Formats: sequence, C-alpha cells, structure tokens
Amino acid sequence: MPAISSRRFFYVQVVVVTLAAGLMLVPLLWVLILSLKDSAALMSDTASAFSPPYTLENYANIIGGQQVSTWLLNSTIVSLAMTAGVLLLSSLAGYGFSRLEFPGRDALFVIVLLGLAIPEQAVIIGRHQLFSAISMHNSYTALVVPGLSMPFGVFLMTQYFRAIPLEIDEAARLDGASRFRIFWRILLPLTIPAQATLGIFTFFQAWNDYWWPLVSATNHDMLTLTVGIASTQVNFAQAEGLGFLMAQAVFAGAPMLLIYVIFQKYIVRAVAGAAGK
Amino acid sequence: MAGVEMACVSKRFGDVLVIDKVSLEVQAGEFIVFLGPSGCGKSTLLRMIAGLETVDDGTIHIGEQRVDTLPPGKRDVAMVFQHYALYPHMTIKENLAFGLKNRRVPASEISARVEAAASSLEIGDFLERRPGQLSGGQRQRAAIARAIVKQPSLFLFDEPLSNLDAALRARTRIELAQLHQQLGTTMIFVTHDQVEAMTLADRIVVLHDHRIEQIGTPMEIYRRPATKFVASFVGTPKINIVELTAAKNGAMTTAALPDGTALETCIPWNASFAETGTTLGLRPEAIRVVAQGEGTAAGRAKVVERLGERTLIYAELSDGTMLTTEDRGDSQVRPDDMIGLSIDSSNAVIFTNEGRAHHGTQVSN
Repeated sequence: MPAISSRRFFYVQVVVVTLAAGLMLVPLLWVLILSLKDSAALMSDTASAFSPPYTLENYANIIGGQQVSTWLLNSTIVSLAMTAGVLLLSSLAGYGFSRLEFPGRDALFVIVLLGLAIPEQAVIIGRHQLFSAISMHNSYTALVVPGLSMPFGVFLMTQYFRAIPLEIDEAARLDGASRFRIFWRILLPLTIPAQATLGIFTFFQAWNDYWWPLVSATNHDMLTLTVGIASTQVNFAQAEGLGFLMAQAVFAGAPMLLIYVIFQKYIVRAVAGAAGK
Repeated sequence: MAGVEMACVSKRFGDVLVIDKVSLEVQAGEFIVFLGPSGCGKSTLLRMIAGLETVDDGTIHIGEQRVDTLPPGKRDVAMVFQHYALYPHMTIKENLAFGLKNRRVPASEISARVEAAASSLEIGDFLERRPGQLSGGQRQRAAIARAIVKQPSLFLFDEPLSNLDAALRARTRIELAQLHQQLGTTMIFVTHDQVEAMTLADRIVVLHDHRIEQIGTPMEIYRRPATKFVASFVGTPKINIVELTAAKNGAMTTAALPDGTALETCIPWNASFAETGTTLGLRPEAIRVVAQGEGTAAGRAKVVERLGERTLIYAELSDGTMLTTEDRGDSQVRPDDMIGLSIDSSNAVIFTNEGRAHHGTQVSN
C-alpha cells in the first residue's frame, strides 16, 4: 500500500510541475510566436499570431541593422569583461580573506559584506557624478568598472577557499611551491565549481543590467542590448512594430538561453545554495 | 639522512604556551615517536620542525643546518599528513611529481623516482587516477609515496594511520617499519596511539602539558616510566595505581596495599615515601590469578574480559580497591568468584606525591 500511494504522489507531483512549467512557458512562447509574425499583420489583428504565414523577416531586419549588432557587441564585451574582472578580483580577495593574516582583515571582510546590503539605487547618483567628473561616461570602462565590486563574489570565494583544508596548502609549501604557485596551481583549480557559479551569475547580471547602462551610456553606439532595445520602443501602446520588438527580445535573450543550457548543472547548484559543497 | 637537534624550543599561540622550552636530539637514521594525549603539543612540535609553525624561542637544526628560519620547502623534509593532503584535482602521478617539478628535477629523473616509489608502495596501477577515486588506504600509500620521491633527509608523520581501519592500520604500521629499515632515513612520527609508538619507535618521546615528560626506548618507557603520567598513559590495560603505606625494610621498601597486603620491593627507601599521596604502580601482568587461598592477596572477580590469548580480570580487594589482573586465555574464573592474587613486585614502581617514579634496583625485562 505505501508503495502505491508514494507512486501516486509521484504522478501528482509530475502533473503539477508540468502544469507550472507550461504556465511559465506561455509568455515566452507568446513572444516567440509574435516575433515570427509580420508587424503590419499584427497591427490589424493580434489574433493572426495563431495562424500562418510565419516569417523570419524580423530577425533578418535585426541582423541587417547595424545598431543591434553594435549593441550586441557592446553587451558581449561588457559582460565578458565584467565576468573576467569579478572572477579575478573575487578569487584574489577570497584567497586573501581566507588564507592571509593582516591587520584589520576581519573588519574589512565585514565592510565587504555590508556591501551586500547597499542597493544600487542608493549609490547611483554619486557614481554618476563621479564618472561625470572624470569624463568617463560613454565608455566600456564606465560600463564595466562599477560591476567589478561584487561583495557576493568575494563572500562566495572566501567561503569556498575556507572550505579547502589548510593541509593542502601546507603540503604544497613542503613541496617547495611559492605562495603564488600554491594559489595558481593548487587552490584556484579547486575553486572551479564556485568560479563557474559566480561567472554565470555575473554574466547574467551584466547582460541583463539596464539601469547603469541607461544612466552612463547616452551615446547610441555605446548602448548595451537591453538599453538599445528599449530605446527602439517609440510608442507605449506597441501598436507598431510589435513583431520586430519581440524578435529583438528573443535575440537578446537567446545568448542567456544558450548559456543556461550549457551550464545548467552549475546554475541549478548555485540556485539550490549548494555551491560551497 | 640527518639528525635533528632542538634546543630550548618554545611556541605560543597568543597567550597560550603550547611548547615550553623543549630540547631534544634525534640521531641520524632514528625512528622517533612523539607520544602524548590530545593537546599536549606533539603535532605543534612536529610542525615546527617542518616549518609550518614559527619558532618563538630556541633553535632547530637538521643535520648541520639551522632550519628554524628557513621556509618549509627549503628544509629537505617530507611530511605525511593525517588527512593525506593529496591535491584532489591532480592525478597521483602529478601529486608525486609536483614537489620535484618545483625543485626543477629533470623530467626523466622525476619519472624514474615516481615509478620506483609507486612500485615499492604498490600503487603503480593507480598513477593516472585522482585521489577521490582511491580508497583511504590507497590514498595514504600515495601520500607516503609523495614523501618518498623527494628523497628527503627527514620524514615527518602526523598521525598518518588514524584515519585507517584497524586491520589496515596494523598492516600500514608494519610497512612503515619496513620502509624505515629499507631507507634508513630519520623519521619522526606523531601519534596518541601507544601501540603505534611501542611497535615503531627506536625511542619514544612522551609529551605532556607542553613539555617532554620522558625520552626512552619503548621498553624503558614501559618498564621504567619516569612519572606517574607516563606510567598511566603507556600500557593497555592501564597500570594499577593504588594507595600505599610504605615502610623501611633495611635499605629497601616494603609497600602495604590498602587491604593490608605487604609487598617487599627492591626499591631503595626514600624518606619522601612516608608522605601522603605516595602510590604504588603495578602492571596487570605482574598480578596473576591463582586459586583461592593461594598467592599474596585475595580478591573477588568483578568483571571478566576474555581477549583470547589472555583474560583480564578486574578484582576487588577486601577494602574495595580495584586491581586489573591477568589470567590465561582459558581462565575458568567467573564474575563474583573469590580468587587468589600472586603479585610480582620486582617491577613495581613507587610514585611520590609529586608524581616522580622510583624503580627497583633490579628490574627484569
């Protein structure tokens, strides 16, 4: 009897999860379908989305348009640079906080953690003024540098380094390895799962970031994809160019989808809060 | 192969003194075991020799070279850790070669040394595996092989057998003894397991309360403990320590047990024996079980432990004093039986109230 009831419970779970997943897929499918329709046809009758003809014209227009490819390139550069920078700085900081002894270390770590509690909104005016004062707006540096200070990354890497037994470092010291060689050849490779988690999160965050690029990049050639696509929305009712807009949304989201498929294991682990295990 | 000399070495962690002016000389080729309870400072002392802990006071020489100011990698020592400390992301081969690469040993020699060490420790089949793919015993062998390939002048072992099961521990112990005979290199081994200490050591250094309590061969430590602590720490089952009324008997001492049994000893009389707190130490094997009415004393068997080759009987004297005694493996004694006890006092030890041991003039080993 218990076996039957547990199997029944399993089927109920599958049905519920499938329904929930389907529900979440509906808006995505809606966007995808609209992106495959001619904008003019949608303007006359939105219900025409459910019937052929379907077209890839909107996508052809995106690829053909210079602006979108520029924004795509900007987003890629900014996201990759920010990811690389965050991984480098967080790893070094994590190593420092977990392995080095220096005056004020613990106080400094607390200050870094306090950064987790400060929302971007609280500092964005000051940040804008700072970059304005040094004439750095409308540059990759301006888009990348603020994102490099990621308290979450420092925290994650510190915890991960702390979980590596000190005996490993000691064995390497006895093996005659320098401090840098221990970091580079022994400890850093052991943190790859955490690096993957942090890297994916950072890339997602950088790719999807909207507010700071909106403030900092006013030159159309320096827009990132998110801001660029938003800037093409000329009418709030979306009566015109709906298909093209949806194609842009799909185009902007596709890299994320690809990354998710490739790194699904790490993302699930990170979301489950098990990155340190 | 090199000796080790520690002169007045001290170490503090903050306000806590963990090594208190320890001096020790280890001969080249010797197998020395640091033995002591948890927290006595034995691992810290080993780590100071390795260079993993700084030395606050005193000096350490390995061979002719003063090493306490050198980094660990420059001391020509190899260490085997309690938890193996193999590099998890490297294969066993890479683990073994890592230290040699750091020393810029030619690749051909690295390969030859790795092969030789792997074959002597029978891990040749696992060289391409990662540590996580090996059992505990195989990992420990790999850790020992990593130490061997460096051909150091001194091996340090920090409780390397404590994570192994009993059977594997016994086997690895024998292999370590063979390894020492084969290499002839100086080895320092830290353990809290007295069986490991007794079976492996040329000399045992017993540590207690952050200082050396006694240095001696295993049998010296067992037969002629310098203090009450050493006597009670070494030996399984534990030595019997009972209150004593001492009396002068010519130049020697007669010891009366709490139940009135008088034992003539060959321990020279000392006036301090008359002070309260003086105790008598008797190893369980010195108290044999005999038939009721025979022997030196009488008691009642309270607990009988059959170990196979011998039987331990926990006997109660008439005044309630408990003594651990030994009988043959096929002992017929059962709990609550009245038994006779034949006490051989030739190896008895008298401890003053400060814990100092006094031994007989003739001791049979």
